[in-house]
Formats: sequence, C-alpha cells, structure tokens
Amino acid sequence: MRVNGNILGIGINAAVFILLEVAALIMLHHSGPLQNIWISKGMHAVYAAVWGGADDLKSYFSLKKQNKALAEENFRLSAMLCSYRGLTGVELSPDSIPDIYGGYRYMMASAIKVSNNRQHNYIVIDKGSEDGVRELSGIVTKDGVVGIVDAISRHYSYGRSFKNPDMVVSARIGREGPVGELMWDGISSNGAVLREIPQHIPVHRGDTVYTSGFSSIFPADIPLGTTGEATVVNGSTYNIEITLFTDFSSLRYVTVVDNVDRDEIRELEDRYAD
Amino acid sequence: MYILLVVAQILVCNFINVGQYVMLSILPVIILCMPLTVPTIALMLIAAVVGIAVDWLAEGIVGLNVLALVPVAFIRNPVAGLLFGKDHTERGEGFSLKKNGFTRFSVAILICQAVFLAVYVAADGAGTRPFLFCFIRVMLSLVCGYVISLPIANMLTSETK
Repeated sequence: MRVNGNILGIGINAAVFILLEVAALIMLHHSGPLQNIWISKGMHAVYAAVWGGADDLKSYFSLKKQNKALAEENFRLSAMLCSYRGLTGVELSPDSIPDIYGGYRYMMASAIKVSNNRQHNYIVIDKGSEDGVRELSGIVTKDGVVGIVDAISRHYSYGRSFKNPDMVVSARIGREGPVGELMWDGISSNGAVLREIPQHIPVHRGDTVYTSGFSSIFPADIPLGTTGEATVVNGSTYNIEITLFTDFSSLRYVTVVDNVDRDEIRELEDRYAD
Repeated sequence: MYILLVVAQILVCNFINVGQYVMLSILPVIILCMPLTVPTIALMLIAAVVGIAVDWLAEGIVGLNVLALVPVAFIRNPVAGLLFGKDHTERGEGFSLKKNGFTRFSVAILICQAVFLAVYVAADGAGTRPFLFCFIRVMLSLVCGYVISLPIANMLTSETK
C-alpha cells in the first residue's frame, strides 16, 4: 500500500512539475523574441517526432492489410505466369522479366510522403534521377493513377497528385468505350469526374473506367474506378461521377511508369502540331 | 526572512551587474533551505510564485526564473534524502551546516545551483549562444553562486528548530 502511495505521490509531483514547466515555457514564449523562436523550433521538433512515430505505428499496423494485398497480387501474377507458360512453353526466370514492356519502363518505389487534405496535393517517392526517374513520368498503382513526377532530385522525386484541380487523365469507359477527361472532383478522397463523354453513347452505372493510353504518360488499360451518376452538360456531353479504386490515404508502394519514346513523340508533336 | 531574501534577489538583479559571464542568484538556496516539512508540490508552487515575482519585478523575460527554479524545487526533497538521510528527511527534522556537515551541505547547494543555472543559461541563450560561452557562464556563476549561497544557507538553517 505504501509503495502504491509513493508511486501516486511521485506521479502527482511529476504532473505538477510538467504543468508548471509548460506554463513557464508559455510565459517565455510570449515574453522574449529569442525564446519565442527557440521554443517554436523545439515544438516543431517534438511535433515531427510524434507525427513520424505515429506514421511508423500506423504503417506497422497496416502491414497485415498490405501483406494480404501483396499475396493476392502474387497469386494473380502466378496464375498469369502459369497460363503464359502453358501457352508458350517458355520458362521465365525473375532476371529474364524485362522492366520495359509495351514501350514503358516500370520501376517500383515507396511513397515517403503523401498529402491528402489540400486542394493541391503531392506525393514524394524514394526514387530519383540516379534510379532513372525522369520528369513527367507517371506514378501508378494496380488500383489506378496516383500522379505525375514534377521534379526530381538524386534520390527522391516530387509528384503532383491526381488530387489536384489541374490534373487531367485521359480515360476510357470499358476497354473499348468512349474516351473522356478524368479529373478529381475536389471534394472527396476517392471521387472524380469523367467529362466530355458524348451523350449518344449509353453509360451504365458500375462500368469500369481505364486509362486510354492516349497520353504519353500513362499506359493504356490501368483500371481507375467505376462509373456512377451521369449528368448532361450543355445538352451534348455527359459528366459522369467516378468512384476511384485508389485509396490515397493508405498509399505505400507505387510504380513509376516512363514512356521510353516520349521525347520522340513530343518532338513529332511539336514539329507537326498546328 | 525568505521574503526579504527574494527582495534582495530582485535588488541584485536590478542594480548589480557583474558581467555577462556571471549570473548571481540566491533563489536556489532559498528553495533548498525551505523546511523539509513543506511537500514537493507546495515547494514547486512557491518556486513558481517566487520566480514570477523576480521575473516580473527585475529581469524582464517572464518565465525564465520559473522555468529554472521549479526543477530545483522538484529535486530538493530527493537531494535532501540522498545527502542528509531518508529517515532524517521523512521525519521532517531541520537540517543545518553544523548538523549535517559542510561537505554534504556544499554538495546540496552545488546540485541545486547547477540545475538552476543549466536551465537558466540555456533558456536565456535560446540556442543563439555557443556551447562554450554557456558552459563558462554556468561554471563561473556556479562558483559565485556557491560562495554567496553558503552564508545565506547558514543563516536560514540556523533558524531551523
């Protein structure tokens, strides 16, 4: 009982001590300009440590979910490999799988910072110029488009997230349907709008929307989301609500896609456009 | 007597300038020599009030003395227990230079002064002063503080029954 009393006493003393020290720091913060800057810097360091720790904790507890998703993807890829082997009779070793496929170079990367709660969001990934990332490369996951690389350093790249009002992705309803412009709706985390779909083409709720491949940034046929309600705009085209597959709040691993012929295509466009 | 000493500290801060390397403070020894019957919480509150009074009436930067003095109050009882004996402090017996010995009393004063000065100098410099400057300031202030604290401690504890 006495031990408990002692521990309680020490706890109360410590609490009062912390309270008085915090009060003193607040007073200092308001009375001295140097102290104001010093305490603000200290507070920022504490915030950074706490947020970093919370982020690590969050990623630790989401490992189970990530593992499940990876296992499912692994299973799908294994099934595809088996089917490929059955069709061609060719054995593929990991080293023989090319990183360039269909005119695009693919590179795995980890998202180290993702902003989600602003009007202009961004993503920072752990691959940079030394890894072969170029500006205007696409950032995707198996669930859709994440963004476009805007700036690169040696080891990191800064990408403009799809959740930006000025970001437009060329998208198609179904694999052979009409093509329109897909934009973030600016409101919800997984909401987008597919614009400029001709009114004479019937659109059904729940259809899957894919990348069209008409831009030189993203390859075709990446699933993006499903269609929702359609509204007629200017009496001629549909604006269709899209529910995106990508969960931006739990982004961890992404793929950087780079069109190897992009410069050639652009040069051709520049020469003969107009 | 304690109030008079706080007033003395305010006067020292206002009218005696001994250079940028020395900071004279008798507040740690005032807190150290408070009766052992005063519980730690009360001691910390007293330290906070005294600190605010000195900050307000003398030094200008409100919160500096509070920040440095409250830790002294927080460690006073454990330090007293360690140096003068736990039974002695739990019984709330008075302590003095004569009764507890010069060495132990000196160590207690030096610990309290060192804690006070370390926090005070760090907060006063606010990260703008080099480490060497802060270190020299703490050391010189510690020596001067110890010298002026000894007679004050003797005076305060000789009153203790």
